[in-house]
Amino acid sequence: MASALRAAILGHIRVPVSQTLTLNGSKLSLFGAVRSMSSHGDDHLTKEEVIDRVLDVVKSFPKVDPSKVSPDVHFQKDLGLDSLDNVEIVFALEEEFKLEIPDKEADKIDSCPLAIEYIYKHPMAG
Amino acid sequence: MASAVPPPVRSEVLLLFRSLLRTAREFADYNIREYTKRRTIDAFRQNRDLSDPSAVVAAFADGKSQLEVARRQVIVHSLYAPKVKNVMEIKH
Repeated sequence: MASALRAAILGHIRVPVSQTLTLNGSKLSLFGAVRSMSSHGDDHLTKEEVIDRVLDVVKSFPKVDPSKVSPDVHFQKDLGLDSLDNVEIVFALEEEFKLEIPDKEADKIDSCPLAIEYIYKHPMAG
Repeated sequence: MASAVPPPVRSEVLLLFRSLLRTAREFADYNIREYTKRRTIDAFRQNRDLSDPSAVVAAFADGKSQLEVARRQVIVHSLYAPKVKNVMEIKH
């Protein structure tokens, strides 16, 4: 069905030759999403996505009161967790975003803003 | 009786905790993976408020030996990995 649609569209679209030449070889998808030159930078998460998913992970932690969770809470100071819970939360975040956070960095993450910042900057967050 | 073995520092304990959780993640079998995670969390929580230093040292040594066991078992279990995915792992 998609191929029939594509055939119908192909019959009507006129792509000027000069445009395709300037896109240095990358294919133009006909359904609108133009892939720019970056190889995998496009599928990087948006900050809102990162914030939402981080907050979901923190809220679903059994010891946490979901109503207290916001993007700037500190795990130990605001949510009353201890260092073991901290490690657990960082571990759960690793699983959610399919990351391997080295121990040195993981030790520094002890609040939501730090977690969001680290994950957003990580190139492999998925 | 071990004399004057210094009790582990907080960072060592957290490192052991994290190593156990990471090793747990490597298991192919869902059940063993979840059990290992659950058991380490429960054990560390339970021993959190130990005050007697020799008990702390004993618990830490126990944790380290369990880490070695888990590491070996990851390798052994990978030789007999389950062929079918556990139903809990199927995403809907």
